[in-house]
Amino acid sequence: MKRTPALLVAPVAALALTLTACSGSGSSDHDGPVELSFWHGYTEADGDVLQQIVEDFNAAHEGEITISTQVNPWDVIDDTFLPALSADNGPEIVAMPAERLPVYADRGAFVDLDDFYADDEATPDLNAGALDMVTVDGTAYGVPTGFVPLTMFYNQSLFDAAGVAVPTTWDEWVAAAQALTVDEDGDGTPEQYGLALADHATVGNGVWPSLFYGNGGAIVEDGQAVIDSPENAETLEFWHDAITAGKISPTGVDGVSGDGLFSSGRVAMYIGGPWMATVSEENGIDYGIAPIPAGPEEQAASAIGVSMALTRQADQAQQQAAQEFFSYFLSREESVAWALGSGWPPLRTDVAADEVDENPVVAALTEQAELGRPLLPGVVNSTDVLTAVDDLTQRAMAGEPVDDLLAQAQTAIQAALDD
Amino acid sequence: MTTAHAAGPRKRAYRAPAPLGGRPDRSLQRTRTGGRRNRTALAFLAPALIIMAVFVAWPMVSALQLSFTDASGFGQAEWVGLDNYARIFTDADIRDAVVNTVVYALLFTPTAVVVALALALLLTNDRLPLRGLFRTSLFLPFIISLAVAALAWSYLIDPQVGLLHYWLRGIGIDLGNVLQDPTLAMPAVALVAVWKNFGFYMVIFMAGLQEIPGSLYEAAKMDGAGAWSRFRHITLPMLSNTMAFVLIFAMIAALQAFDQIYVMTGGGPYGNTQTVVMEIYESGFRKLELGFASALSYVLLLATLVLSVVQFVFFGRREKES
Repeated sequence: MKRTPALLVAPVAALALTLTACSGSGSSDHDGPVELSFWHGYTEADGDVLQQIVEDFNAAHEGEITISTQVNPWDVIDDTFLPALSADNGPEIVAMPAERLPVYADRGAFVDLDDFYADDEATPDLNAGALDMVTVDGTAYGVPTGFVPLTMFYNQSLFDAAGVAVPTTWDEWVAAAQALTVDEDGDGTPEQYGLALADHATVGNGVWPSLFYGNGGAIVEDGQAVIDSPENAETLEFWHDAITAGKISPTGVDGVSGDGLFSSGRVAMYIGGPWMATVSEENGIDYGIAPIPAGPEEQAASAIGVSMALTRQADQAQQQAAQEFFSYFLSREESVAWALGSGWPPLRTDVAADEVDENPVVAALTEQAELGRPLLPGVVNSTDVLTAVDDLTQRAMAGEPVDDLLAQAQTAIQAALDD
Repeated sequence: MTTAHAAGPRKRAYRAPAPLGGRPDRSLQRTRTGGRRNRTALAFLAPALIIMAVFVAWPMVSALQLSFTDASGFGQAEWVGLDNYARIFTDADIRDAVVNTVVYALLFTPTAVVVALALALLLTNDRLPLRGLFRTSLFLPFIISLAVAALAWSYLIDPQVGLLHYWLRGIGIDLGNVLQDPTLAMPAVALVAVWKNFGFYMVIFMAGLQEIPGSLYEAAKMDGAGAWSRFRHITLPMLSNTMAFVLIFAMIAALQAFDQIYVMTGGGPYGNTQTVVMEIYESGFRKLELGFASALSYVLLLATLVLSVVQFVFFGRREKES
């Protein structure tokens, strides 16, 4: 039987291929340096700086620790991280949007880092809000890599042309937006809007939380839903009136289309994250940065956070090596380098704005850092909470009665918290 | 290859797949070389079967297992019995998603089938010039990925930068922000799927149409039957096998709606395009409730199976009657 072996080759080869595809995780059972893989979603200039930090760390730990990085964009990191984790084929270190950390921590994906933080020499004083976002039920499960309050980006040329000053309160904000809204052909659809106020899937999900804080409201406090408050009702009505009466903002905008509107010069003011600086420069927009104008009660902004964590897949040696990397990353020198390169303000509280003033965006954001509030810290089911907030704001801006919407949101959010 | 061994010679010879709704061809069963053909066939099928077993059958079995646990995808999972299944039938979000999926299926399936059939009729008409060109270009959308098509369409209908939007406004139609409009979002995502899939159904219909003997039409013409009555009494009945195939395929595609919704609306506005598969994705990958997501997948699988069998039986009976 000459044929039989030939016929069997194909299936066996197919099987072998499948099996090899499943292996290949970075473990440290053998001698030689401890190997760590590190997944993150920093794809722009920040990615290059992070790569440099990792390479410097590897060089300083030649023969002991080798970290290899892999980029997985933030919006799809769950799609690759979860299957990898379930196949025991994931990274030892993973960075993810900070509000995604609690659900993984709650399900036991991460190593608790309380001991790491207990060592004062290894860990400097970090921004309190950033630390809140890595803490679940009082236990720390991660190290912040970024924490930045949302800020207002404005188009300097449009401001100059209209002779408008940068607003500092909500009333000034609406007035400025009205002055900057232009409907030349009078068809009721402005060609230029004063503001792009996203009503769902906003930048870092933080636009509406920021506005709620401004009027003394909140979404979740001490594990309880507090969204159904007269303050929040006022906030929604104020902005609904401003948008429908003055047409100062297009409706149905989300974070992505908002970025596009500002970078195409079609809106004068926009709430965004630090990357808007680069995006504006690339598109030739002469921009300025200011804090989100103060609400009637408070000046506060929801922060965008990114945290990195150590997965349960890491063995003892890998855990130690990873903690060594965390300390290195948080060291004064690397913190400053990371801030300057990433455009995000430094996480250490002992780095002042003038130390990072060679990057004016970072200096401006550092001054605003204390306005930043963590988004849903420790909330495991942030997915459903954020969906409920999106539902609420989108319907409210479409003109549905605010009181009913708030009551529904309250129920939905409380249910998500009680899960 | 224990299966090849156990099957034994001659008893289970290779059989051509039965035509949909038709009878299996018995003549092949009597082939003398049955045993050898059997082994050879299995050896040739083995690569595909192994891939199916590893990537389809095994995941299905594991998913079934997962569906009775509170698995999050990693770490420990506890047996929770039928809790996940019970939750599916009580969860208000799931109920909304089922309603949305049915609405989507009702928008997608008939539109796709009617458009495909109409174009197939047009393209099998000898009087139409450049038929080859039309056939190819109408089939093209089918070969691109739905996610890519969805991205392209979101740009086209974007209210700020969309070309389609701009043109429509030129002739006085303002659609507004289609994907954020609670009534228009669902038809929009369904239409993108129609645009992407009708080419495939069209080709199937064309194959079916070409099998109808021309003599039937000639005879009908002689008897004075008009175009409509030829379509109604010859084309449609003769196409019923093809129609069953296309309808079942279109319905399965509709029940699995995900890609373009994920890309274009993310389930919004306010959950109006949140389908069952979107719910499965969100439970599994966002909330790390893989056990629940698996249970939901199984319920969807069973629902699809039941609906397919119902259609199959329905068309099988109609064919018998005619």
